[in-house]
Amino acid sequence: MADKTSRLTASEVNISRRGVLAGVPAAVALGLAGGSTSRGDRQVERRPRVAALVSEYRKYSHGQNIVDRFLEGYGWESGWHYPQVDIVSLYVDQFPESDLSRERVARYPDLNLYPTVTEALTLGGNQLAVDGVLLIGEHGQYPKNEKGQTLYPRYEFFQETADVFRSSGRSVPVFCDKHLSWNWDWAQEMVKTSHELGFPMFAGSSLPVCRRIPSIDMPWGADIEEIVSVGVGGIDSYDIHSLEGMQCLAERRRGGETGVVWIQALRGDRVWEAMDAGSWEDGGWDPALFEACLCRSQSLTPADKNSRHTYPSRDDLARLTSKGNPLVAYRFEYADGLRATMLLTEGLVRDITVAARLKNQREPFSLLFYLGSGHEMQPNFFNPLSHHMENMILTGRPPYPVERTLLTTGLTAAGVESLWLGEQRLETPHLAIQYHPNKESTFRRT
Amino acid sequence: MPDAQRKKLAIITTFWDWRSHANHMSERFLNGYPRDGKWHRPEIDVVSAYVDQRPETDLSGDKADRHGFVIYPTIADALRQGTDKLAVDAVLLIGEHGDYPDNEKSQKLYPRYEFFEQIVDVFRKDGRALPVFNDKHLSYSFTKAQRMVEASRELNFPFLAGSSLPVTFRIPPVELPLNCRIEDALMIGIGSSDAMDFHALEAMQCMVERRRGGETGVKAVQLIEGDEVWQAGREGRWSRRLLEGALARSDSRSGIGLSDGRPQDLAHSGELEELVENPAAYLIEYNDGFRATLLMLNGAVQDFTFAARVRELSKVQSVQFLLPPQPNVTYSACLMGKVEEMIVTGQAPFPVERTLLVSGMLERCLESRIGGHQRLMTPELNVSYRAPRGSQFCDALG
Repeated sequence: MADKTSRLTASEVNISRRGVLAGVPAAVALGLAGGSTSRGDRQVERRPRVAALVSEYRKYSHGQNIVDRFLEGYGWESGWHYPQVDIVSLYVDQFPESDLSRERVARYPDLNLYPTVTEALTLGGNQLAVDGVLLIGEHGQYPKNEKGQTLYPRYEFFQETADVFRSSGRSVPVFCDKHLSWNWDWAQEMVKTSHELGFPMFAGSSLPVCRRIPSIDMPWGADIEEIVSVGVGGIDSYDIHSLEGMQCLAERRRGGETGVVWIQALRGDRVWEAMDAGSWEDGGWDPALFEACLCRSQSLTPADKNSRHTYPSRDDLARLTSKGNPLVAYRFEYADGLRATMLLTEGLVRDITVAARLKNQREPFSLLFYLGSGHEMQPNFFNPLSHHMENMILTGRPPYPVERTLLTTGLTAAGVESLWLGEQRLETPHLAIQYHPNKESTFRRT
Repeated sequence: MPDAQRKKLAIITTFWDWRSHANHMSERFLNGYPRDGKWHRPEIDVVSAYVDQRPETDLSGDKADRHGFVIYPTIADALRQGTDKLAVDAVLLIGEHGDYPDNEKSQKLYPRYEFFEQIVDVFRKDGRALPVFNDKHLSYSFTKAQRMVEASRELNFPFLAGSSLPVTFRIPPVELPLNCRIEDALMIGIGSSDAMDFHALEAMQCMVERRRGGETGVKAVQLIEGDEVWQAGREGRWSRRLLEGALARSDSRSGIGLSDGRPQDLAHSGELEELVENPAAYLIEYNDGFRATLLMLNGAVQDFTFAARVRELSKVQSVQFLLPPQPNVTYSACLMGKVEEMIVTGQAPFPVERTLLVSGMLERCLESRIGGHQRLMTPELNVSYRAPRGSQFCDALG
């Protein structure tokens, strides 16, 4: 396995992975030849190898976006970052006509495609042969259940991974993209397994680590009374993004995370009716938090075609959100009394914002999770997520507790369940999940 | 009825359709705009407008009906609200968009100076001068631009001008330390000449004006195009390292990024030279010996980025000037926030000399282009000023 670069910017070594893979010896390419080759050789031995388990590898799928960042590098601070780990094996579950995995395997001579998860992890041998696993079970043609959940095989990929860990007597760090599973019991089992086998794991959405406008974090130890998010998309796909965006802020509150005691989901007109109640106590949410979200949005649909930017009236809200995915609200309460409302308001905005009421502060805390605007742009919110994956594989330390995503996975499943049961309020004793994040911010700030 | 305490604003514009600057800038006063997580409604009423061209797509009539202001046939009438005396508190001069001829330098001959003259004429006759905001460069002509600034000094009114790029959101929210020693700077922009290059030059200027000693003016400029741009890079006339720094801040896709989604290391992959249709480099030499370069890289990127080497800082500093998406284009709310600040406080939040200098740099660069891409000495661009102490951009952190 050729070395590629050490952690230097491209300008300093002026080399690309492709160039190295084309046969330039690493030590020479790095300018280390002439007495320093032994150092280069040691680096060769140290470079961790990674397996990526991907549901589908086509243009703009999560698999493509993440794996390509490891293969090609990405913009980071003022340079091009080439990861210090090598993805050497791929398991790809589905091959649509637009599949790119075969093209990538041809492009990168050290990258191989394996027919099973196990072989991707053992590189065709008998033992675990990689130093990290990326589990990217997002996108592809998978059936939906009656509740509207897509049955992505994340748990199945994970179980096969854990089997290899067990049989090899060795475990390595695992990243799981988005929620752990559509199925709560399975998600819980995944986290339990990671603790039992003692391997580092983190999971979730890119929202917690993407850029923010403004570029701020929830004050550490804040007394948060209420939190609201306004986002877009459908259930079991975009709710998890909004929930993770809220959770990465909420978990910094005084006392740390305490878990959630109940949830109720609302759909359609009932969402705006709840808002008309005017407060959390009356079945709605703090209107100032809703306003703060809309005022952090950079894609608020104007009320009429002659305008570019208007603050919507109550009538506008109903009219603008009457098409596309139905309106959804998840109202839930944490064990320590924090109140939360997640809104999916397709038609009203095209981005995701959060606002929170802090005790003794007149103005809400609010921000936009900045994701760019559509496919004409690079989804560079994957850069910080990929950076955290690399760091976990290099250091063995996850950037934040997987319990965050266990909780948001449970909230997603419970929200979907509440809708399925006719918008019932559900007690959630199973979501008594407690954890403490690190104080240091993990979102992309530099 | 308008409240007597509220300020009255006149909008003097060339053209007002949906996509025009007149539209999204005026809306901030007509509808309000988001500011610090709240919907802010300025204590300012648009009471009058002058619209030079009103084709079928004109929206000014609809806006006047809806918001209760009056469109007058002349600039003087708009400022006097049809009376015989100045009757507003501030003026927005938006001479952007509309059907105007180009000159041989491919500058669009927007009548900003001509409108400004009419505004100042009313100020003189009526014995009172008001805050004025001029959108984008002061004029296509540096001589005319100079006269505008002189008039504002003579009549002593607050005068603000320029692009929204200096005040829009920055990713990340980087500001160079005031009085730092900037060793080299490079800006990447896109778009057409005498429209978008102005934005890029002013974005670059708002960063480099913070260097030690303050702004001293420009000694010489040169605009080169085509392969000569890459050759100049190889010769070290602009920095590849800073090109890498700026491109690392770009979020756009092109070439392989569009065809199969791969991230693109444009600074090193060789793809950049293939993608750029007609590269141009605006090489700016300042009086204090500092040099900065604008690269216009149409075809490769779709955003505006900047990088600089600062002696006091070990890392290359770089930033993207964010242009938030349609239809909100909130960058114009950032700029109108500054205009509102001027109207309320009577002080321009940043010096109009920035825009004066950039107006001159641009005109001289375009002269360099039509004069065989020669280096031009620019003794007339000895514009000195000091950068504002505090950050003026939208998401600047405390």
